[in-house]
Amino acid sequence: MPAIAGPSSSPQKHVVGSRLEVTGGLRSAEVNTCRKRKLRSDSAAEVSSSTPVNSISTPMKWKSPRRCAVSIPKTADEEIKEDSNGNLASPVISAVKNLSVCLDVESKWNPRDEEQMKAVKEALHVSKAPSTVVCREDEQRRVSEFVKSCMEQNKAGSLYICGCPGTGKSLSMEKVRQQADDWAKQAGLPCSETVSVNCTSLTKTTDIFSKILGKNESGSKANGSSSPLQQLQSLFSQKQQQSSSKMMLIIADEMDYLITRDRGVLHELFMLTTLPFSRCILIGKTVLRYQCSYFFFLFPLVIQIMSKLRICPSGVANAIDLADRFLPKLKSLNCKPLVVTFRAYSKEQILRILQERLVALPYVAFQSNALEICARKVSAASGDMRKALCVCRSALEILEIEARGSIDQEPQGPVPECQVVKMDHMLAALSKTFKSPVVDTIQSLPQHQQIIVCSAAKAFRGSKKDRTIAELNKLYLEICKSSTITPAGITEFTNMCTVLNDQGILKLSQARDEKLRRVSLRVDEADITFALKEIRFFRNCLL
Amino acid sequence: MGKEIIPAAEKSLNLIRGRLCDPSYVFRPLSASSDSNYSKLKFIVSTSITEGCNNSILLLGPRGSGKAAVLDLVAGDLLEEFPDSVSLIRLNGLLHSDDNCAFKEIARQLCMEHHLLFSKMASLDENSQFIVAMLRECGLAHKTIIFVLDEFDMFAQGKQRLLYSLLDAMQSVTSQAVVIGISSRLDADQLLEKRVRSRFSHRKILFLPPSREEFDGLLEHLLSLPADSSFPNGYVSRFNEKIKNITSDTRFKDILRTLFNANSTVNSLLKFIFRAVSLMNLESGLLSLENFKAALSSMQRQPKLEAVRDCSILELYLLVCMRRLEVKEQSAYNIISVMKEYKTIHDSFQTSDYYAQNVCLRAFEHLRERQVICYTENRGQSQTGEYRPMKLLISASELHQGMRSHACCPAILLKLLDH
Repeated sequence: MPAIAGPSSSPQKHVVGSRLEVTGGLRSAEVNTCRKRKLRSDSAAEVSSSTPVNSISTPMKWKSPRRCAVSIPKTADEEIKEDSNGNLASPVISAVKNLSVCLDVESKWNPRDEEQMKAVKEALHVSKAPSTVVCREDEQRRVSEFVKSCMEQNKAGSLYICGCPGTGKSLSMEKVRQQADDWAKQAGLPCSETVSVNCTSLTKTTDIFSKILGKNESGSKANGSSSPLQQLQSLFSQKQQQSSSKMMLIIADEMDYLITRDRGVLHELFMLTTLPFSRCILIGKTVLRYQCSYFFFLFPLVIQIMSKLRICPSGVANAIDLADRFLPKLKSLNCKPLVVTFRAYSKEQILRILQERLVALPYVAFQSNALEICARKVSAASGDMRKALCVCRSALEILEIEARGSIDQEPQGPVPECQVVKMDHMLAALSKTFKSPVVDTIQSLPQHQQIIVCSAAKAFRGSKKDRTIAELNKLYLEICKSSTITPAGITEFTNMCTVLNDQGILKLSQARDEKLRRVSLRVDEADITFALKEIRFFRNCLL
Repeated sequence: MGKEIIPAAEKSLNLIRGRLCDPSYVFRPLSASSDSNYSKLKFIVSTSITEGCNNSILLLGPRGSGKAAVLDLVAGDLLEEFPDSVSLIRLNGLLHSDDNCAFKEIARQLCMEHHLLFSKMASLDENSQFIVAMLRECGLAHKTIIFVLDEFDMFAQGKQRLLYSLLDAMQSVTSQAVVIGISSRLDADQLLEKRVRSRFSHRKILFLPPSREEFDGLLEHLLSLPADSSFPNGYVSRFNEKIKNITSDTRFKDILRTLFNANSTVNSLLKFIFRAVSLMNLESGLLSLENFKAALSSMQRQPKLEAVRDCSILELYLLVCMRRLEVKEQSAYNIISVMKEYKTIHDSFQTSDYYAQNVCLRAFEHLRERQVICYTENRGQSQTGEYRPMKLLISASELHQGMRSHACCPAILLKLLDH
């Protein structure tokens, strides 16, 4: 790693490298631009080097992401302590230490400045599409290759994209579309038309055909004699008058809305690509995994027809077991489907994406270990990028409130140093996002309702998951008697059960007779025990 | 002295009752601190407006804890602060649960705000296109649209199309919107579909019941009269003095504790105070502790207890006999067996209350009408008349309590019940 010559005293700084050439002696402007340049060019290298260094230096500390998520505060603190002992630690963590040293001297980041705050929040907003889509190069490449090959050969084809929500599918599709347009211009081919349909907005599933037709050149919507589907089929079955006809790129978003309702529609849609003079490239996007099974019953049939017409399709879906089940079948029919799965983001990927977004700003608003914790927790939970961005923005807001609070206390005071988003801000934001409000609510319920919740927890401990209100009332009366609290009458009891039902803690069924309504618990018993463990009375009850 | 106070008393009554019915007045002191839900909500929404970024929030809490009231406060303040850059669209999950209906309502409200003509014949497609176009236009004009979805969990039923389209529209840079959901279900965001939940920004504001100090402050805020010249001199100070005496009384604190053990939301406190204030004696013009006690008992009524209290002595006898049969583990009993028990009691204790069969039958009918007893459901066998099995609809403790508070219950009955 090259390092800018500077009076670096501690050996740690040499070892680690990319961010660390910035030390105390340099001027602020140079520092910032140098840091910026270094970060951009070396970010990829840094990320790839950070993982092996991490594993070499702290073999004992490396835990699986799942366990990390549980024990986040401890690991981070221990790593920082290790740092101060002078051990070899990961570049990110030691970068933090040096960064915090640097920030004392040259930081331009001022959380009280509204413009800066606004810029950072905008950089982290979900709606802001970054200029380059990182961590999805592989998938993007495959999709664009497929589109290009279809356009070159002037043949129809179909492709299926699947993946968890928040994994960058729509973003990648946008990029591929732009790339396809640019490439078509370069190659001299006519630009393809794009029909982008979000299947949630269709009132009837057959409306998708009229949408496709509406964008077609010959667009004769007024024809009432045949349905849009028939029109499309007739269009694609006849040879076109114009020799150079455009390819049509059909992007169907949330395609499972077509699957669940009417399989015939989906079948017809994919059949459009098999018609002899069809010029459409169909790309379907969805999040669901197992609903694809319905769709794939049709696939062998479609493949047979396609193979007869010698058109190679490439529609696909996601779940591994589905691919295992259907790949052999499709292979036997002599076509190889292209599997494009967008897997959930890992911790490194999330961290990289966050850093990429923040790198364009001239100041550093986040401590690296805060970003790392966010990435770790989100990747362990769902791998959803939107959630990670949301948590970062939440942490920024906590910092903003803190900064404003200190303004109220001393309006004339100087800006406190190192007011970046630190670990505690990020941890607070994470707990706000991931914590369920159940525990807090149970703790703040009135006493009688707490006794009802407690008796419900006791009642549903065994195998029985369902009881009538009358039985629950008996348990409630027992608990009240054992603690000499005057119990509420049956009417009041039923009202309180209804209130708890409204809040989603209990579940009440409907019945003709008030007393015969069945009750079940919606909340985990562990949550109830945790919430009520402070109160000795309930602790004894629940034992 | 009494007659002159009456107009002043009436005026103070009207003033207090008016305050209790005005949610913005009630929630002002609770929202004063910087840590309150009001300030949190206001911060999020005002930063979204000023910075032009999209946000979605959920307000969670039991019914009557003031979610809609705080939201109204925030909305009112924001409309004053940013008069031209905010427009409010309100939907209710109970009224607009259907997607068609919801889209139509949004389009109608948008048309009203911007003085456009709304056509009732517009289809769902046209409405949704209109909404997307309006969002884009408002985004360009830097105007934020705030969507308030009341009863959010009702929108999460079915295909969740409305939620998906709203939250999806907020993912694009062109629109400027804030979606605020109000729900009493704590797990409202778990009800959302995967992709809708991914687009929701997971901010939740929990409305917990206020602490005791806040309640005391609220009581004072609501009940103390202002030092106005329209009231006769000395009345205001006497009134406020009496309020202070009552609130510092331990018996009053007991009353409050009994109230809060059942229901600790702000709404129930308001109902309680309203009843107490309405019972104010107009001649003295001052509140008293008895007002509050009467209010509590009217709020925590026990209808079965009152039914037992109004029973005649014969009916009480019959109830006690049924209870004794229950205690003897006789799960199914009918009129014949109850009459037998009644006779046994009469024979062993030589009570003076012994009535003929037809009188007892009428007593049974009375008890059935008051829903104190009923016939049990018997699927297989169909018995008629006196052989039909019956059961008690009240518990032993309620019967006990009712008999103890009965005006002239004979002592022997209580003894019989305890055996």
